[in-house]
Amino acid sequence: MRKFSIVAATALVAAAGLVLSGCAAGGSGGSDKAEIRVWLNGTDTPKEAREYLVKTFEKQNPGSTLKIEEQSWTGLVDKLTTSLSGSDSPDVVEVGNTQSPAFTSVGAFMDLTDKKDELGGDDLLPGFVEAGSYDGKFYAAPYYSGARLVFYRKDMFAAAGLEAPKTLDEYVADGEKLASANAGVSGIYAPGKDWYNALPYIWENGGEIATEKGGKWTSQFSSAESVAGIEQLQQVYEKASLAPKDGDETNPQVPYCANQVAQLSAPSWVKWSILAAADSDTPGCPDQEANLGVFALPGKDGGAAHVFAGGSNIAISNKSAHKDLAYDALKIMLSDDYQTILGKNGLVPAKQSLASTLGTDEVAKATAEAAANAKLTPASPKWADVESSQLLQDFFSAVAQGGDVKSLATELDKKIDDILNK
Amino acid sequence: MTAVVSTPTRPDSASPSAPKSAPPSGRATTAAGGRVARRRRIRPSSIVLSAVAVIVFVLSVFPVYWMVNSSFLPNNLVRGSVPHFFPDEFTLRNYALVLFGDTRTPFLPALLNSIGTTVITVGVALVFAFLAALAVTRFRFRGRRSFVIAILVVQMIPGEAMIISTYRLLEGWNLLNSIIGLSLVYVATVLPFTIWTLRGFVNGVPAELEEAAMIDGCSRTGAFWRITFPLLAPGLIATGVFGFIQAWNEFVFALVVMSDDSAHTLPVWLRTFVQANTTTNWAAIMAGSTLVAIPVVVFFLIVQGRMTSGLVSGAVKG
Amino acid sequence: MSLVAKTKTPRRVGFAPFALLVPGTAVLAVVVGWPLIQLLIQSFQEYGRAQVFGAPAPFIGLGNYVEVLTDQKFWNVLGRSVLFCLVCVVVTIVLGTLVALLMQRLNKFFRTLVSIGLLLAWAMPPLSATFVWGWVFDTQYGIANYLITQVSGVDFMGHSWLISALGFFFVAGIVVVWGAVPFVAFTVYAGLTQVPDEVIEAAQLDGAGAVARFRLIVLPYLRSIFLVLIVLSVIWDLRVFAQIKALQTIGGSVADTSTIGVYIYETSLANGEYGTGGAIAVILVLILMAVSFVYIRQSLKEDEA
Repeated sequence: MRKFSIVAATALVAAAGLVLSGCAAGGSGGSDKAEIRVWLNGTDTPKEAREYLVKTFEKQNPGSTLKIEEQSWTGLVDKLTTSLSGSDSPDVVEVGNTQSPAFTSVGAFMDLTDKKDELGGDDLLPGFVEAGSYDGKFYAAPYYSGARLVFYRKDMFAAAGLEAPKTLDEYVADGEKLASANAGVSGIYAPGKDWYNALPYIWENGGEIATEKGGKWTSQFSSAESVAGIEQLQQVYEKASLAPKDGDETNPQVPYCANQVAQLSAPSWVKWSILAAADSDTPGCPDQEANLGVFALPGKDGGAAHVFAGGSNIAISNKSAHKDLAYDALKIMLSDDYQTILGKNGLVPAKQSLASTLGTDEVAKATAEAAANAKLTPASPKWADVESSQLLQDFFSAVAQGGDVKSLATELDKKIDDILNK
Repeated sequence: MTAVVSTPTRPDSASPSAPKSAPPSGRATTAAGGRVARRRRIRPSSIVLSAVAVIVFVLSVFPVYWMVNSSFLPNNLVRGSVPHFFPDEFTLRNYALVLFGDTRTPFLPALLNSIGTTVITVGVALVFAFLAALAVTRFRFRGRRSFVIAILVVQMIPGEAMIISTYRLLEGWNLLNSIIGLSLVYVATVLPFTIWTLRGFVNGVPAELEEAAMIDGCSRTGAFWRITFPLLAPGLIATGVFGFIQAWNEFVFALVVMSDDSAHTLPVWLRTFVQANTTTNWAAIMAGSTLVAIPVVVFFLIVQGRMTSGLVSGAVKG
Repeated sequence: MSLVAKTKTPRRVGFAPFALLVPGTAVLAVVVGWPLIQLLIQSFQEYGRAQVFGAPAPFIGLGNYVEVLTDQKFWNVLGRSVLFCLVCVVVTIVLGTLVALLMQRLNKFFRTLVSIGLLLAWAMPPLSATFVWGWVFDTQYGIANYLITQVSGVDFMGHSWLISALGFFFVAGIVVVWGAVPFVAFTVYAGLTQVPDEVIEAAQLDGAGAVARFRLIVLPYLRSIFLVLIVLSVIWDLRVFAQIKALQTIGGSVADTSTIGVYIYETSLANGEYGTGGAIAVILVLILMAVSFVYIRQSLKEDEA
């Protein structure tokens, strides 16, 4: 035993020596010419925008290069946690807007407070600015937003004698009507784990997710307003939707193209999934093009409802060795030209003044309407933990299965309070 | 494919309930043997057994078949209201996409990274484990038991809990995005199992065989290479297979440690097809999965013959 | 793998065994030992995402352990994991052994057929396997619902397999057992080839039935193999992670279906509470050590012999 531990100790000492020598090797001097690494997630950023970014950056900074490294959304928080805190940190990173507070609160990003005006100031999407700020400082700029729209089948609407609804109550009533008129069809496709599309019911009935007072968060799911909203949603689950009670929001084009959905609330890009050509990599049902209608989810009292805004923020790593160059890259990504490319590709630009770049067709109009009223999740650094614990999926799934709203909501509030105030 | 796990337990001494009348190395009379063999041959249940075998085969293979089947179908038919049991709308476009699609990490570098990592992992783990196994079986020394128990306990530690520390470790050595670094992590992951298993195999080769060879004029090293090593081949292959599968399929560490596009391994590459803001291309994922599985099958087929022949060879059975 | 009585004559040599142990021990000490020490330290600290980015990590004594052990969720997760693990291990070992016995009795053609089937199952990436099984039991488009409806005439379309915890673990059990049977079957089969035919034949002549032959002769021969297989299966199945995590994205309630592996991952990485995650990991190792105590004690005894 003694000898064994000597071996172990020797190995440990050797290891420690290696670690020390490894440290000494790091730390290159900050030169003017360097390679900047930009992490973008998934295929969201269109190719045209990527090319523009690389070209513009390399023109403005002769001798320096910009490399885009595509990251996968799966496991992104883990990877950012390790990479941003390490010596191998990328310079510029895209982060999901709801994940952003987890990093702004721990000093992972460079402080951009005094650059805010230069980047767009009050023109930047306010909810995303909030998501990228912590303790009064601005760390992560808005990158783009997505909006949720309602897609519907014109033929089913015509057969039921319906028109696009003007209020949320009408929308729900239409959904029930369509479901009973068409066997095997969801009047509103509402899978139980799709919490993004569940939130508007709460907001439109006057409820909130959580509110902050004096640094203390209080979850609001069991407030009278929220409960009213969730009960309305439960009615949708029970009377209008045939979607799996434990299903999630992914791949809604599958039931839609199988003629099982009359109204579908989904991110705007789902239009392209539905209409993807038969000879594309992921075929949809392009024959439905003329039959596909779209409107912004109506609010309780008319107008567009508050819908959940998905999207991204963009930030500079505090460990970046070339912060000036990284900032140049970030500036390009928030430039009007670059954001216009995003807008033309159906993403809501980070600047409100560029909303018109979305275009003028039905989808663009609905997107702009929805984006104007979009809301975000609470800007607490712990919110990402609420999401990753999947409490909301479980909650709405239980509601979809007919659980008692009030008691489930009270239980959920307790759990969320625990996390947010940890 | 065989993976024999054994411990130093000597079967004859550890099996008090074995009938004493039947010494393990005893030879039954030829007459008795013949009679039994004949009785076996006429058993009618062989049809039943064959039927069961077919069922086992179908159940084992079904998911594999479904993966391959889906990989040849257009994505919209992979999950549809009517299942497609055959690739009746056969297409190679999923393979074209995962192999040559433009925005993804290319397949070939990922394949090379995976092969490199796996080869290093298996090679190093086998050599190190073999040495350790020799130490704990051929020698008596203080701390031997502690070592064996420590090896067992190490297998219980959930690696997920140590990702950050491991990352820092590799970072300190400049081994991020390096095949060597990832291999080092994998070697540590498979080493306990490998040592443990090889220990049983080495134990199974009687030291007397080596000694006899030395009497016949072999040097100690010569005796080892000519006698012991060939007998260990099946054990080395069996544990090697285990290491192969682990290193080939591991995802979490590979994701965190190999962040550069050029450093991705196959499981990480495969995951790039799961996207948040587009349609999930299941057909492409299945095509990718099939490509990931093919080298494993090839490897299995290569080693399988060697292993079973080594196992049943009379020498092993003494 | 000798079954002849062999006399172990370990040589007493001073330095040689330690020299042989150095490479393996060094790798383990560095790559596992070092992070393990940090894990232990973190488990006594307040260590969250902020600490990863350099904030000071105050020691909080047993705070993390108290938090974990007083959390009802932890006990639910643990109980569920243990139960799931036990069922999976038993089913895996029984099925694996049956398949091995089957292979022994088959002619060459069918044996090869079964081997190939097991090989292919073993070669399939576990995550892809989970997705495929998930599709099989998919609520809307699963083949399971489709076939049951077609064959029995009972309308199973839209039946959700994963929504109840029991159904979820039924499917998860299939995924885990399906993936684990090849290893067990091949190992037991290799062990079976070592049982001398003569012993079996003699017992057969003595009139022993198939069950008795297995129990009285084969089992004692394979005892050590089974012991190792069971210990390994317990360790692996208790820590099962990828399959559960992937299946949760297909359906089911996360709170009701997380196992200890998923729980550690969620606490450490997803929620960024590395200190608490470390404490759970330590507790898990202690539990596993207790479970394998019987085995450890036995191997101690044998090594002393």
